[in-house]
Amino acid sequence: MLSAPILLQLLWTGLAMSSAYCLFAVAFALVLKVNQVWNFAQPALFIAAYYSMYAAWQGAGLPTWVGLALSLAVTVFLAALLEWYGFRVFRNRRSASLTFFIFTMVVSQLAVSLAELFVGTDARALQSSVMSPIHLVGVVAISEWDLLALATTAVLMLALWLLMSFTRFGKQMTAVADNPELAALYGINVSRCYLHSMMLAALLVMAGAYFIGTKAAIVPSSPLNQFLIFAVIAALIAGIGRVFAAGVAAVALSLFQAFSILVIPSRWQIMLVYILIFVCILLFPQGVRRNPRRLAAVEPAPVSQTSVPQP
Amino acid sequence: MIEYLSVLAAMALINVVLAVSFNLVLGYGGLVSIAHPIFFALGAYASGLLARDLGMPVPLAILAGGAIAMISSFALSVPALRVSGDYMVITSLGFQLALVHIITNVEFTGAAGGLTGIPSAFEGPIRGQLGLFAIAVFAIACVAIVRWLMHGPYGRAVTAMRNDEQALESLGRSPMAIKVMLFAMACGMAGVVGGFYAHHFLYLTPEQFGTFASTALLTMVVVGGAATTWGPVLGAILITLLPEAIRFLDMPISVMAPAQGVMFSVLVLIFMYLRPQGLLGGARAGGGVSSWYGSRAERRVNGGVKP
Repeated sequence: MLSAPILLQLLWTGLAMSSAYCLFAVAFALVLKVNQVWNFAQPALFIAAYYSMYAAWQGAGLPTWVGLALSLAVTVFLAALLEWYGFRVFRNRRSASLTFFIFTMVVSQLAVSLAELFVGTDARALQSSVMSPIHLVGVVAISEWDLLALATTAVLMLALWLLMSFTRFGKQMTAVADNPELAALYGINVSRCYLHSMMLAALLVMAGAYFIGTKAAIVPSSPLNQFLIFAVIAALIAGIGRVFAAGVAAVALSLFQAFSILVIPSRWQIMLVYILIFVCILLFPQGVRRNPRRLAAVEPAPVSQTSVPQP
Repeated sequence: MIEYLSVLAAMALINVVLAVSFNLVLGYGGLVSIAHPIFFALGAYASGLLARDLGMPVPLAILAGGAIAMISSFALSVPALRVSGDYMVITSLGFQLALVHIITNVEFTGAAGGLTGIPSAFEGPIRGQLGLFAIAVFAIACVAIVRWLMHGPYGRAVTAMRNDEQALESLGRSPMAIKVMLFAMACGMAGVVGGFYAHHFLYLTPEQFGTFASTALLTMVVVGGAATTWGPVLGAILITLLPEAIRFLDMPISVMAPAQGVMFSVLVLIFMYLRPQGLLGGARAGGGVSSWYGSRAERRVNGGVKP
């Protein structure tokens, strides 16, 4: 039976769960905008973040903050390695976008295989219990996890927006995203901007991994089979180059998935995400809000022709 | 020992067909589709189910499996290629994961437990050898067809499509039609060999057709040499035999699959960095990752750099 309390609860739960998906989508969209790379290696960043936290807490029994710091260091370092020894190398070779696709997909598959090799294929949560204290607000049950996830995501989004809009650092990244050759002519260190966007994406992915892992247990293939697809669809719906719109799209998708439980059995819920890929590509390949003037600036040109080779 | 070698040879030949057909899409066509193993799965499951549940003769069931895989390819290629080749990789990943999810969750495919009771293509004491012979004939036919196609006028049109779609369009050819046809041919081959697989090994599980299988196929093509005739053949044989070295280390099954995954992924990365043209591609032979870079004129404009 549908009732207002059930609908409100679904709305709240969907909103809370959307925080992690929002972080993944924004991370994906940021790299797509600045580096002009479909970063299918994002699951590798997730795996590095997730299992370093797991090793720190469940393996070594380290305090929470040490695990978070270690995970952040590992993820940011991996992101830097991907940029230095992956994207930059292929950019300098002026490789076709297909090379980037294959490279990123293979890096992700390597991360999944390594995780399965060392941790196994069983689902694992980051902490021994994923239960969080619950408070009843009216008819809606709100967990402390929900509040922490939403608040952290809001703070991170606000910080990223401020960074991109009002700092020299962020404006340089936007300039590189628009036209790397022109940005280089103006003296912007394009290579550093690419690196910074990867590092920022790593931070967002790490935060998302923390929230996923403290809410549920996952298997090593989940980041590739589930979370990546979600981020890609959100980026597609938002339109390439629209970083924060990708976050909003992720929230909408998450709510859509949460409400679908009313009509679809839970085991088929993931199918919605796969079906959405086709819907997005068929109906709005350039995003839901087409704006020809903006699109001209953000059209994903082949990497081989737009990127500036870096030393 | 003979039984073991026979199984290994059958797997190598099946992988040859998969790699050669995948090379049509990836190497010659320059289209990255992760989903090739799912067309192999569609052929295998369709053929197995048609023969088992409807009593269709096995050869007919294998052909029907190929046809189903070919027709299904339109469901992926038409929407994905309508927009841009870049979307192909995303759509194909979703397509593959969705179909694997369906196969794992519906009853008539045997769900996660797998499809059993598939009738064999041949009966009698030399069933295995006859099956192996049939797969070998089909593998040779596939290599010959791809070589003939890609070294003729159609192959030149495909190369033109890969290097400069607009120029091809200006000559009155439709790049979209070529892409869709290339995709259909490759998926049809994968579907038929899926049928061979089903009626030879008599058992199918959905986990065989996931992203791990995609990585293995990618490894075969990139290591052997994309857009070459013999590269994927060599790649398929090597990648089939290589994990056997690990098998003798007597590792548990739970470790074997991820260890193979690590090996395949590392191999692709090594080749992408150090020998992007693959084992059989070269400066004179052409092929490899370099063939995705575009026409000679384009290379000259961009400074003649390596892929």
